[in-house]
Amino acid sequence: MEEREPAKTTATKGTDAARKIRAMVKNIYKSCHEAQSQGKKVAYIMVSSQYDEILRAMDIVPLPTENYAGLCAAKRDMDRFLTKAEEDGYSQVLCSYARIGLGFDSLRKELGGMPENAPDGGMPLPDIILGSSGVCDPRFKWFQACGRFMTAPTYSIDVMHPPVHCDLNAVRDHYVQYQKVQFEGLIAFLEKQTGKPLNKDRLWETIRLGDEAWRLWYESDRLRTAKPCVMPSQDHFNVMVPAYYYSGTQEAVDYFQDLVDEVKYKVENKLAVVPDEKYRILYGGGLPPWHTMWFFNYFESFGAVFVIENQYRGFDPVEVPDHVKDPVEYLAWRAFLRYTARHEQAKANSGNPVVEKILDLIQDYDIDGVFFHACRSCRATTIGQIHTKNMLGRYSDLPMTQFVSDMVDLRDYSEAQWKAQIHAFLDAMASRKK
Amino acid sequence: MSAVPQIEEFYTQRGKRARQLRDAGQKVVGYFCCFVPDEIIAAFDMVPYRIQGCPSEPIDRADAYIEPMACPFARSCLNMAVKGDYDFLDGFVAPHSCDTIERMYSIWHHNTPAAFNHFLNVPHMMGPSSDTFYRKELEFFIKALENWSGRTLDQEKLKETVKLYNRRRARLRELYALRKPDPPLISGVEITELMVAGMGIPACEHIELIDNMIAEVVKRPKPKHQKLPRIFIWGNEIDDTAFIRLVEDSGSYVVMDDLCTGSRIFWDDVPETDDPLDGIVSRYLHINCPRSYIPAAGNREEDLQNRFGHIGDFVKQWRADGVILYIIRYCDTCELDGPDLREHLNAMGIPVIMIEDDYSISTIGQLRTRIQAFLEMII
Repeated sequence: MEEREPAKTTATKGTDAARKIRAMVKNIYKSCHEAQSQGKKVAYIMVSSQYDEILRAMDIVPLPTENYAGLCAAKRDMDRFLTKAEEDGYSQVLCSYARIGLGFDSLRKELGGMPENAPDGGMPLPDIILGSSGVCDPRFKWFQACGRFMTAPTYSIDVMHPPVHCDLNAVRDHYVQYQKVQFEGLIAFLEKQTGKPLNKDRLWETIRLGDEAWRLWYESDRLRTAKPCVMPSQDHFNVMVPAYYYSGTQEAVDYFQDLVDEVKYKVENKLAVVPDEKYRILYGGGLPPWHTMWFFNYFESFGAVFVIENQYRGFDPVEVPDHVKDPVEYLAWRAFLRYTARHEQAKANSGNPVVEKILDLIQDYDIDGVFFHACRSCRATTIGQIHTKNMLGRYSDLPMTQFVSDMVDLRDYSEAQWKAQIHAFLDAMASRKK
Repeated sequence: MSAVPQIEEFYTQRGKRARQLRDAGQKVVGYFCCFVPDEIIAAFDMVPYRIQGCPSEPIDRADAYIEPMACPFARSCLNMAVKGDYDFLDGFVAPHSCDTIERMYSIWHHNTPAAFNHFLNVPHMMGPSSDTFYRKELEFFIKALENWSGRTLDQEKLKETVKLYNRRRARLRELYALRKPDPPLISGVEITELMVAGMGIPACEHIELIDNMIAEVVKRPKPKHQKLPRIFIWGNEIDDTAFIRLVEDSGSYVVMDDLCTGSRIFWDDVPETDDPLDGIVSRYLHINCPRSYIPAAGNREEDLQNRFGHIGDFVKQWRADGVILYIIRYCDTCELDGPDLREHLNAMGIPVIMIEDDYSISTIGQLRTRIQAFLEMII
């Protein structure tokens, strides 16, 4: 039988730093398997739950299930997990990250071991499951549903932020206090699971490392304002790995220092992603199509490069007041400040923090067009894109487009439609430039 | 006089009574979902209006503002708003009930702004700190209403309103008890009409309708005994009779529900506490909605019992023979609870069918075959 070459799903990167990520992803799952053999606790986690440094400080090894779904899609090995979840009764429009995760868990339980040839060795059974309400609803409901396939102790926290219209001075203490109590509940749960108390000095250290990595990440993004573009968005969707999954480690700090050095060097030497940069595109929102990341290169073949993103982007650095002396309170303050960073700006202008952020990016990165990706199964990052586009249209005449597929479910993707839409978008940017 | 014509009038001409009250000088405040305590709005002498969609109308305008992969109920509501069907709302309140409604707040109030717009944050987690948080959010809500109305909330008035609303809850429980006999004394379609009619009128008027309906039902001749399956319906929004009618017309009795347009909104009373907010917090934050996280408890069986025990109790008490899980497409929280709830009910020996629907009566034909097959299976 003729062997078929596996479909190419990934994009060619622009930086050496991005090319190092594949090994870091592999290491996430490898380190989970190793950790369990060393008696450490491995926890299913949700990205951007604001609790990363707590886990690192307590020697809990994070196992990011959403990332694993993206990995399966990049490997085009998602169908067996998606269909398993659907056989189990989960809807085809349910978050496809959740479907892959639940399908994987179901298959692992049914087989009594790891599914054959699972990408990167597969996800081991976790010792603990940690959900959160930060970002979207499935991030705690999915982990609740995991109870069908395993018996790991499960805990979830709220990550709440205030609406834009509120008086921040009036609500600040209320939100910070609630967030702090949520973290304290999590810590008490983890102390019970690990049998060890949290060392607050150690937490301060992981926070320092987490903040430093994110500061460097931010610095690298600011360097990317340079023209021509030296680090495209496909690289961003790789370098987010140490930011989110190695948060609170020296490894992440070292990684981002190298990234800053490399981007600086490329900027100084004008080492462009494309030789003749015609259009600079902002990835305006929506989870990336992990199954088809080469579309970035397809754009590049026409001189169009994605120069910055409003997705999986780090929070801008925030200044927690000096009077905060407790690391748990610091985390609560930091979460509040991160989520409200553009509230005042929004109140004074458009009324919408996302719009404000995108307008800032358009100006700072000299953008020619804005691209959104609507994912059929992701409510959190998709709903509001049309609204954002509509509002941006009041302040900008840039061409904007919304592509539809899914972050991991290939059944929602049409290459022919995408290519047609890509050309229409390129034409729109060309017309505006005339 | 029969209550039915008036119920049908309020059911079919939604917003009519609210418009009348507005014309008479009262403010009307529209709100989404179960997590906005409408007692608070009523205690300001305003008319709380539960926002509903219209599954018999195509969503022809909302797609310019919101993505088609959002909850079709929410899209239908927005569709009506942008067409001007909700132009009688002086205020708009959206709770943080789920991802779609949270995002809907910004979309709605930017495109169809009311004089008063408020977002009510609601914790997903349950516990003492969540109670404290939600209480504070309610205090902000009250303050916002005070600023808008120029009036201070009268605590005694709020206490009275809590009592009034509890009276309505008690009447509704009484009404639902009429579904316990076999055959039930009142149909699921009649119940749905009465529940929907009550969403846009003052509680005291709704109580009158319920009382009249109960009086009428108990006087009816005893229904002819037919051995038909008794059905329990779980899910989210059913604010149209089409689906319930389909289930009943296919040869069954719809005898009980756990819907956010049904028992979920009224089953538990608000405790009548010295500080009325204490009681309101303890009732509203602990509504058993899939969007809330009930902390893990014990082994799998115990955890399912902890999460769904109340549904099992309803099924037993109303002697349901089968359960329909009616999920409006793109509702992630219901989609994730569905298989677990099915497991729990199957363990009780109850047959279950999961239906995912588009909140459109145009899908009724497709559903008919599935419902009929399910009913045949459980007879």
